Amino acid sequence: MSTTQIKSSKPLPQGRASLRKRRKSLHSPLHFLLFALPGAILYFVFVLWPLVLAFWSSLTNEDAYRPKTSFVWFENYAKLFSDPAYLQVLGNTLVLTIIAVIVPNALGLGIAILLDRSGWAFNAMRAVFFVPVILSSVVVAVVWQQLMKDDGLINAALRPFTDNPPGWLSDPNLALYSVATIVAWQSVGMCVVLYLAGLQSIPKELLEAASIDGAGPVRRFRNVTWPLLAPSVTIMTVLTMIGGFKIYDQVKVMTNGGPGVGTTSTLAFDVIQTGLSSGAVGYSAAKAAVMFFIIALLSMASMKIMKKREVDL
Amino acid sequence: MSIEDTSVATEELVEEEAQSLSNRKKKRRWRGQDVTAGSPSRAIIALLVTAVFIYPIYLVVLNAFKTQEDIYKSPGVPVLPLTLQNFTDVFTRSDGLFWTGLINSVQITVIGTLVATMVAAMMAHYMVRSTSWFAKLLWITIPLGLMIPAATTLLPLLRVLDTFGMIGSIFGLIIVYIAGNLPFGVLVFSGFMRSIPKEIEEAAAIDGAGPIRTFWAIVFPLLRPAGASVIIFLAVGIWNDFITPLIILGPGNGTTITVGMYRQISEYVSNYGAVFAYMVLATIPIVILFIFLQKYFVKGLVSGASKG
Repeated sequence: MSTTQIKSSKPLPQGRASLRKRRKSLHSPLHFLLFALPGAILYFVFVLWPLVLAFWSSLTNEDAYRPKTSFVWFENYAKLFSDPAYLQVLGNTLVLTIIAVIVPNALGLGIAILLDRSGWAFNAMRAVFFVPVILSSVVVAVVWQQLMKDDGLINAALRPFTDNPPGWLSDPNLALYSVATIVAWQSVGMCVVLYLAGLQSIPKELLEAASIDGAGPVRRFRNVTWPLLAPSVTIMTVLTMIGGFKIYDQVKVMTNGGPGVGTTSTLAFDVIQTGLSSGAVGYSAAKAAVMFFIIALLSMASMKIMKKREVDL
Repeated sequence: MSIEDTSVATEELVEEEAQSLSNRKKKRRWRGQDVTAGSPSRAIIALLVTAVFIYPIYLVVLNAFKTQEDIYKSPGVPVLPLTLQNFTDVFTRSDGLFWTGLINSVQITVIGTLVATMVAAMMAHYMVRSTSWFAKLLWITIPLGLMIPAATTLLPLLRVLDTFGMIGSIFGLIIVYIAGNLPFGVLVFSGFMRSIPKEIEEAAAIDGAGPIRTFWAIVFPLLRPAGASVIIFLAVGIWNDFITPLIILGPGNGTTITVGMYRQISEYVSNYGAVFAYMVLATIPIVILFIFLQKYFVKGLVSGASKG
């Protein structure tokens, strides 16, 4: 009996050893070389390294038109917040972002609730709101530019009623709000799509139970729908905020930062403008770093909310 | 504005909804109608809101088929006979702006999306299965990539591309897209990969399959739903992107469909028809892709939305 035990137990460790060896082959150098390395090199060289370069450059007085570059520590950053042009850009971006957060979320939520019904007509209408989501922001900006320019279609329609219709994109007091309208219009589509996804994940049984218990539509919304939808609202607020701080395309296409000097310039537009057109590489990098910190902070907030898994869009 | 107005723009998107509609109907037949059925007054309000919302797109599609004169005279209504002249104008431009843009955009989008998806899937596999210090380094650095807005690193990126002699080239642009989209792909795939039991791979390894075979024959096929989300999301993003090609290709070094559109508006100062026709053509490819992969898109939208 004892011999059979030894016999049966002896081959087992060998088997385990070979299993361990095989398991190791999954984490072989080949796995590292073929799976991790190509992507990691691309990522480090073309994503992280430029970020490091931007930070480095933000601490220098590098300029395309100056032959010698020297290290100036945080001089660029100190200059930033006393530069009226930059404060204007910051103000523009804040105005754009506030509009681009409040309008699409309010309208998007309202429209999503309006469309959250069954039937072919409601399905077709829901599909319509997908259109701006897949359109390029350039397409959207070009469309609206054609509508809003001084001799554009909107003013052509207004001409019978007034002799000087507003210069939607050429009036310095108006242009920023025109750009905000376009940004908001496109985000409404995305808000509707995502809020609808949130609404449709709410079990209909809950609403039916509430309705049997005598709750009217307002009560049902206040006590059932809203608490379940609130996490989606939080996340969409953060996401539209990130979108707002990143606005570039619409400004570039519709106004190119004007009319006048920087009346519609945004953080992203200003970074590119300062670095490429004015050649102030170091100063532009400091602006880029500030923008990066704002976006990174908001992104981390959104990831934290997502991780809580409250949001089940 | 009428039902017909909105239906012009929605026609292509109605079909994909048809399937989910029939599913929903089946599910809801036995349920109380009071909370899900729409009343006629709600339908009318919804229709008005939808029509107002989509009116600019309706104008574009409609006016792409009209002559300049008709657009000015009556922008909001169809004027018969419709004309294809605007499209012919776009196709036969002497500088071939549309065709070069189209060919470049298709190349960049297809190669960029597919390679980024594959590389991201493989990287995610390494990161999920390996416990090495390098995997840990990747776990710290990859999420950072989601928070970098393009505008902040484009100028230093130009310098990096310059050192490799890739400035102003389509190849350089593709490389930038692959690298820049890895974080999103990796995070989607790694979440999905954790749900695949390790034992399946170990069984394959015991049967003598190396890491490459194990991955492509066992793991990759299981990733298909996540892969579809990544592909549709990256493809739409790359096709529609404007700032990256504008800066990296620079003036005079070729163009993509979006940059071409931007260049065109300064030329066709008031030729609406040609601009609108160009936009319709530029959007068709992505709409086709979207119709095929629509159900994965919202998923990708949600997971990619936190992208910086």
